[in-house]
Amino acid sequence: MLKVDDLVTSYGLIKALRNVSLEAEKGKLTCILGPNGAGKSTLLFTIAGILKSDRGSIQFLGRQISKMKTSEIVKEGLVLVPENRLVFPHLSVRENLLAGAFSRFSRKDEVEEDVESVYQRFPILKERYLQEAGTLSGGEQQMLAVARALMARPKLLLMDEPSVGLAPKIVNTIFEIIKTLSEEGISIVLVEQNAVKASAIADHIYLLDQGEITFSGSPDEIEDNDIIKRAYLGDITES
Amino acid sequence: MNVEFIDIVQSLIDGVLYGSTYALIGLGFTLIFGAMEKLNMAYAASSIGGAYVGLGVSVLFSFPLVLIFFIGPIAAGVLSVLVYFCCFRYLPSNNHLAALMASIGGLFFIDEIISHETDGSPLDFPELGIFSEAYFEIEFSDMFLGFRGDLIFVMFASFVAMLFLLYLLYRTRLGLATRAVSQQPIAAQLCGISIHQTNSITFIIAGVLGGIAGCLAAASVGVISPLLVLPLTVKGLIVTVMGGLGSIRGAIIAGLLVGGLESVFLLLRGVNERDIYVFLLLFIFLVFKPNGFFGAEIDRD
Repeated sequence: MLKVDDLVTSYGLIKALRNVSLEAEKGKLTCILGPNGAGKSTLLFTIAGILKSDRGSIQFLGRQISKMKTSEIVKEGLVLVPENRLVFPHLSVRENLLAGAFSRFSRKDEVEEDVESVYQRFPILKERYLQEAGTLSGGEQQMLAVARALMARPKLLLMDEPSVGLAPKIVNTIFEIIKTLSEEGISIVLVEQNAVKASAIADHIYLLDQGEITFSGSPDEIEDNDIIKRAYLGDITES
Repeated sequence: MNVEFIDIVQSLIDGVLYGSTYALIGLGFTLIFGAMEKLNMAYAASSIGGAYVGLGVSVLFSFPLVLIFFIGPIAAGVLSVLVYFCCFRYLPSNNHLAALMASIGGLFFIDEIISHETDGSPLDFPELGIFSEAYFEIEFSDMFLGFRGDLIFVMFASFVAMLFLLYLLYRTRLGLATRAVSQQPIAAQLCGISIHQTNSITFIIAGVLGGIAGCLAAASVGVISPLLVLPLTVKGLIVTVMGGLGSIRGAIIAGLLVGGLESVFLLLRGVNERDIYVFLLLFIFLVFKPNGFFGAEIDRD
């Protein structure tokens, strides 16, 4: 579904991504793990067209998207939920959702239907639909960010560290939501630092370190690989 | 000179009515600042430029003069978007100084073209027909207060333009895009909103507002001159600062206030000193209330 080949992105002279290649399959949850500064957000920003790559190809549903503008990429059905949620702080919850549907030239009632279905999925957003998004709690903002992305009817959802900065209990809720979305058949690429939780729901895992893919395999394969297991999952799983 | 209370009230009324044009100009500054966090110094120049084009086209093709008030704003919108492409679109988006300097260049460029084409002399601008002759007087506890018909029309037209702007911003898909871009540009892109397209449209809307203000200002004075450009630029900036950068209601209130105070300064200190006191207002606000009346609104997360 998504095929990244030999991707290089740099900030000035510093190469943040060095020849990254990876694939995400339809209906699967692909997870990219890596420490701070590994280039995870750079990778997602490059795929979503916010950053431009120096070299390499990004294919989505067979089309080359590496030269496309972000707004065109969203229309293709590839939608990013950015790190730190980035909700529109002074728009109401409902307006945030409507902004999410901006790319669809569909009729009004269709968008309204989607707003309703999003409200069903996240009842708290319905309760707060007139409230300014900036006044929501971190967890609620994360739900809103996911909901806003769903409003674009994505074929593939990119999620950048949805658990960052949230209380442990809320993190569990967020991972439940991701799991449910994945089970409903939505293809997802999830970038995380929370390796334990992410690998518990992932179908396939990539490890990204200093801009390079250092491992690719199923969660089970990580279990079998002692070095990687210790480096990324820590000792928690052993106890 | 013996100034009575009623004279002050009368000047205040005239000034507030005329100040609605400052409110429009302030709104334009604030709209563009809200969208890009950049000041467009060429804004008042493109507004007056639009009024000139309206006048020129109408005279050249002997159109009925009322058409000036339609052609002018449209021309100002076109000039404004040209300013966007010349001074903002292709400059590095994080370099605010470059855009500022470029738009100051735009200001003088437009100003010089106007001066050159008109030999620097003022031109007659059509007055507002029957409105110019109308005059209303109201008795208010022994005072007779007068309302100039043309100024009432100026305020009415400005308010219609403002209502139209508010409708655009808060009731349309375009307005949603504009507000989204101004609050969180990256997320706006991720929602499929094109930043450049939205910015162009913001410049057009601001330009049209400015063109309306330029035409109304010129019509209520009866002349149009390149000398209008700099004062209008500075007053637009003062209004924007007083209202709070990026605040819409702030710009409206501050516009009326600057208009009113300017008129009172004119009465008390004469035309030569008027602007000195208006500029003093700017310093007072910058020192004591740098965020203006409603500046907190532009705080970002």
